[in-house]
Amino acid sequence: MLSPWIGLSDPVWRDLEVMREEMNKLFGLGSPMANIRGVAQGTFPAVNVGETSEQVIVYVFAPGIDPAGMELTIEKNLLSIAAGRDTSKDIGEKPKPEGYYRQERFSGNFKRVISLPESIDPGKVEARYKNGILVVTINKKEEEKARKINVAVG
Amino acid sequence: MAETKDTQMAVSSEGRPVAASTKAPSSIIPPVDIYENDDGIILIADMPGVGKDSLEVQVDKNILTIKGTIEDIVPKELKPLYAEFTGKEYERAFTLGPDVDVSKIEANMNAGVLKLMLPKAEEVKPRRIEVKAG
Repeated sequence: MLSPWIGLSDPVWRDLEVMREEMNKLFGLGSPMANIRGVAQGTFPAVNVGETSEQVIVYVFAPGIDPAGMELTIEKNLLSIAAGRDTSKDIGEKPKPEGYYRQERFSGNFKRVISLPESIDPGKVEARYKNGILVVTINKKEEEKARKINVAVG
Repeated sequence: MAETKDTQMAVSSEGRPVAASTKAPSSIIPPVDIYENDDGIILIADMPGVGKDSLEVQVDKNILTIKGTIEDIVPKELKPLYAEFTGKEYERAFTLGPDVDVSKIEANMNAGVLKLMLPKAEEVKPRRIEVKAG
């Protein structure tokens, strides 16, 4: 009854496919460049990591999760996040399997371990969940923070 | 792959480098669950980062479009170290059948999950047809 608007045969998708193949050659399965804790593309939830001069910030794209059920731990420079969601509960009634046309959303439990830069202070962490994104802010060690150096005239 | 001219940088009047291409970055296609029961169709989409105010759901003729913008959460001075998720705009569209009562569509946004209820028009709801013996 509902059909996607854009067909998969669109040339744009083929270009993307070529790009993905190139990326896979570099970092994907079978590549020595792949991180030992790395996950396959499209794994739920997606994670981004960035830094400022004072902090390292982790963004976890995990919509529809009860923050009370999230287990967040940090040990040395490893941050781990365990949580889950049951998408069948979103329907509002007990869904019959034959009622689904599409089931693209992740359902189940997950755990992700993220290796952070050595410069972080595991004692100073703050986590906030808003609009389905978990933002974990970790302060850097005092001695690792970028400092401005004044140049004296002389 | 993009041609070289698309990736070359030009310098704006302020002296900051800007991308020469004016092409808008492609939008993110949110994953969806679509379920049908006797009352209608339920569409659920994962759109992390989108709040109630940055969401747009519209029906034009029989095309249902959902759009959303990820609200700013990243500090300006942030240097990316690692990214699995890129993009800022979500967009996905579907063609609706004539049986959906477009005037009664309801949308609900919670924790980055959009739930759309697309009720069927009264006259198309399934009725049980009695089979007479004989």
